[in-house]
Amino acid sequence: MVYLTSWDEFVERSVQLFRADPESTRYVMKYRHCDGKLVLKVTDNKECLKFKTDQAQEAKKMEKLNNIFFALMARGPEVDIAEVTGKEQTEAQPSKKGRGRKQ
Amino acid sequence: MPPVQPRNRTSFAPTPSSSVKTPLNSDSFLNELTAMFERSAEKGSVWVTLKRSSMKSKVHKNKMNTAGEAIDYRCLIRATDGKKKISTTVGPKEHQRFQASYATILKAHMTSLKKRERKDKRKAADSEKKGEASKKMAASK
Repeated sequence: MVYLTSWDEFVERSVQLFRADPESTRYVMKYRHCDGKLVLKVTDNKECLKFKTDQAQEAKKMEKLNNIFFALMARGPEVDIAEVTGKEQTEAQPSKKGRGRKQ
Repeated sequence: MPPVQPRNRTSFAPTPSSSVKTPLNSDSFLNELTAMFERSAEKGSVWVTLKRSSMKSKVHKNKMNTAGEAIDYRCLIRATDGKKKISTTVGPKEHQRFQASYATILKAHMTSLKKRERKDKRKAADSEKKGEASKKMAASK
């Protein structure tokens, strides 16, 4: 199973995967309260990306990813996710720690 | 209309009610999802799956494509606790309201995840790697 260690990479590749095949790509979340574990999976039935965590902080990040997927899936893969996240698209160079927009 | 048969069964014997799922309206779904989290607190898992769907069969879609009709897509949300299955769909106009309620439920129930002790981390960072800490400070300004 492909467990990614970088959250940002997981998000970026998941969105790319979805945009490449919006018909088959699904986003799965599994939560076990008794173990305090959260596992996320994005797959198009060919490639599979997974992310697991036990950190509350990452659950907050997941909230944003949920919003991204809701927008992409309800409105369509062409939706500009910058509206959802306020982040730059991956085409523009994202700075790791910068919060302002580069102009 | 005949009841929906699970795809992995070839027989037409009556299916137990837990495997028959008609989509719920989003509010019922959210209430059921809350109940699922509450039931699974001691043991068990809750799975939630999001997928884009037109909710139409391939045949119907092909017909619409050849007729030049636009196909409406919705976001299909499914949830299960391993025993009960529920689902709902959300369209482009309702998704923001749904995602807000959904986020609230998750926040309220995903409480067994570890919280990072920032104070401890900072102390450790300060004592071990003074350089790193000051770099971080500079970058965030």
